[in-house]
Amino acid sequence: MTTALFSIAGAVAVVAAVVVVTTRRIVHAALWLVVALGAVAGCFGALHAEFVALVQILVYVGAIVVLVLFALMLTKAPTNPLPALTTRRSPFAAVVAGVLFLLLGTGVVIAFGNKKIKPVPAGAAADVGTAVFRVWVLPFEVLSVLLLAALIGAIVLSQRSGKLSEPDETVSSSGKGDD
Amino acid sequence: MIATAWRVIGVGFSLLVILTAALLHGVDPQQADFAGSYAGIHTYISFGVRTDDLTVLMLAVVGVVSACVQVYSIGYLEKRVASYTALVTLFTAAMVTVVVSDSLFLLLIGWEVMGACSYLLIGHYWERQDARAGAMKAFLMTRLGDVGFLFGIFVLGVAGDTFRISDLHADQMSSPALTAGTLLLLVGVVGKSAQVPLQTWLPDAMPGPSPVSALIHAATMVAAGVFVIARLFDLFTAADATLTVLAIVACVTMVFAALCAMAAVEVKRVLAWSTVSQLAIMFAGLSLGTRDGRHAALFHLLTHAAFKGLLFLCAGVLLHQVGSAAFVVLRRYTRRGVLRKAMPVTFVTMTIGLGALAGVPGLAGFFSKDSVVEAAWDHARDGSTVGWVVLVSVCLTAVMTAFYCVRLWLWVFFRTPALAGALGAFEADDPMADLEDPDTSKLHDGSWLMLAPLILLAIAAAGLGYADGVHIDWPIALVTTVLALFGALPAYSLWQRGADPRPVLLEREFGVDSAYQRLFVVPVQWFAKLAVGGDRDVIGGYVRAAGKAGTLASEGFRRLQTGNVQTYLTAAVVGVVALAILAGVIGS
Amino acid sequence: MPLILPLLLAVLLFCLGVYGVLARRNAITILMSFELMLNAVNLNLVAFDAWRLDGLATGQTLAVFVITLAAAEIGLGLAIVLLLFRGHGHVDADTARDLREQPELQENEL
Repeated sequence: MTTALFSIAGAVAVVAAVVVVTTRRIVHAALWLVVALGAVAGCFGALHAEFVALVQILVYVGAIVVLVLFALMLTKAPTNPLPALTTRRSPFAAVVAGVLFLLLGTGVVIAFGNKKIKPVPAGAAADVGTAVFRVWVLPFEVLSVLLLAALIGAIVLSQRSGKLSEPDETVSSSGKGDD
Repeated sequence: MIATAWRVIGVGFSLLVILTAALLHGVDPQQADFAGSYAGIHTYISFGVRTDDLTVLMLAVVGVVSACVQVYSIGYLEKRVASYTALVTLFTAAMVTVVVSDSLFLLLIGWEVMGACSYLLIGHYWERQDARAGAMKAFLMTRLGDVGFLFGIFVLGVAGDTFRISDLHADQMSSPALTAGTLLLLVGVVGKSAQVPLQTWLPDAMPGPSPVSALIHAATMVAAGVFVIARLFDLFTAADATLTVLAIVACVTMVFAALCAMAAVEVKRVLAWSTVSQLAIMFAGLSLGTRDGRHAALFHLLTHAAFKGLLFLCAGVLLHQVGSAAFVVLRRYTRRGVLRKAMPVTFVTMTIGLGALAGVPGLAGFFSKDSVVEAAWDHARDGSTVGWVVLVSVCLTAVMTAFYCVRLWLWVFFRTPALAGALGAFEADDPMADLEDPDTSKLHDGSWLMLAPLILLAIAAAGLGYADGVHIDWPIALVTTVLALFGALPAYSLWQRGADPRPVLLEREFGVDSAYQRLFVVPVQWFAKLAVGGDRDVIGGYVRAAGKAGTLASEGFRRLQTGNVQTYLTAAVVGVVALAILAGVIGS
Repeated sequence: MPLILPLLLAVLLFCLGVYGVLARRNAITILMSFELMLNAVNLNLVAFDAWRLDGLATGQTLAVFVITLAAAEIGLGLAIVLLLFRGHGHVDADTARDLREQPELQENEL
């Protein structure tokens, strides 16, 4: 049951990811990213990591993709298909990625080809919460500092004044929040 | 200021040498070591000096000639005086070192320093191409001989187990070692004294200043060869083969050089060839291997130093006043009979010098040459082939010497009635022969600084013949006088007819130079080109290729720096993949 | 459920992300490809957590952490993209080559 569920979600994720990296419409790519991330969240659910799945949907779909869409809007991304959304190196990049896939896939198959995941108990947010605040509390705090730093960095980067005082078009730097 | 100081030092040094000779005269032979070191286990190399009759004689010759040259140079030389005077002094000092040394190595040091000085002095007018070429030629050819000389020293020193000349005795060493050592020494002597086959440097050294020529030809350098053989005479007499070779070289050289002198058309060149010829006469005397022969050779060395120094200084006056010593130029002055009247002192002294060279009875050269002939005759009567060969050669040379002396004297100083003022046989040499006579009003004898040495040497050239105690073998004196007349008369009659036939072979000096050119210079140049080409195209090729490879590589790497982050990232991923594959391949 | 299934899915997603990063022209799509790669990592973490069941929920916790990191990363990344857009008027990663050798430096060098 979980295998089937996982397979379906995984297939959706792969298809959506392929569209994300190949489509010629940028906005479509962003939207297909939502599909891919949601499908991955489904995969998490199938692995009984419900809390992670929820966080995935909340943060990724709710925040990150929205941010991306905002960015697309701010950079005046066209909604029509672009003729050249990939670089001239894309065939080579495909080959590199393919070789990497073969390499990693072979490695994974050799290493874990016959391992099974036993039926896992249904995950609960409580377990994760307990683990976070009991075992992983120090990394958690460090992470909060990191987020703060990212926040400040984003603000500094998107400020209009400073050295980059070029007389360019009026792009508002609003909505540069954070999570 | 510096020039003056050097002049004082130079003249003072020469006078010191004369004084030393005077003080040592009559003193018993002595020797002293003043430094030394062991080379190997039992070969002791000392730097000893010695005095004996030979040393005193040579010191006197060197001192007088160099004093004359130094004084003469004060009036002669105008530019680069300091370096010139210093080098002449060094040259003299080197010759003195050779003369007084009791160590083969000390002798070698002086010998080599002389080679270097001759190079520098012949090339004194280094602006002139011929001076540079002559200097280089002199250096290379004497150097070639010096290689033999050095190895001769090694062979003799090792065979005799000592490098002290006074300890070297022929009976200590094996006959092959003795022969080899003396033959090798002979190579050096032949090079230094410009004997066949290394004779060509001396005539080509003529672009050097005339006083230097006088010094080289009269007292130092070429005389050093004669001196070395006289110094090591015991060794040479014990090596019959070497003496035979020396005799052959000497006889060939004296005839050869005299023939060349007969066809030369430049005063200094005639004198240079005559030096080669006269040196060969000395060597011929030495090659007899008898006491009389050695004595005759040294006597000839003494008188030759006087008259050849005199002749070169006279030629220097001509050069200084006229600007050239070529017959054709001098003829333009003399076709009206000016030269003789304008320069009476030069004329008279040069006449004495040429007379001494030609062997005019009563002058120095006459006695010394006769003593060589006498020694050869004595030796020949003892049944020696070498004696006969030497005798015939010297007599033949006497004829030719008289010929070229008279030829030189007449053509340079006397107008030819038959030619009615024409340049005569030398017109073909000069494209400007038809020009008006040069301005002769300013022609004069030169300063007394230059004339005093001339007069001194002229007195010596006239009177030195009596220094040895007059003993005249009348038949021989008669024969040589007749022989000189045989040489002089054709020269006179040719001059009177205004003709100067110069066989092409003689004029080209038997083609030795061009043969050497083809035999040695061209192949060496070819090898040099090969070496240069190899250096440039092979070794340099690697160097340039290395540089080029670096440049090209950096060109390529520069291209890699596109500024495109994705390219970098691609490369990084490719690298990671490659490393992973490599790790897998190695690990499996 | 075979462990290999989520792992292969993760590999596939990761390689698609790599391809996207290497081949896409638009900087924002490159960032999207990053998200795909991060997701692949998360999938690995969760899959191994489910396989090992160490009781500490290590994989899941780390996955949450990675998601947080991804949020921070996308915030900064988009700020940079906006800066790029403001400076150049486009967000084309292929033509933004300010890092290459400058022409005047080239003159000095040669």
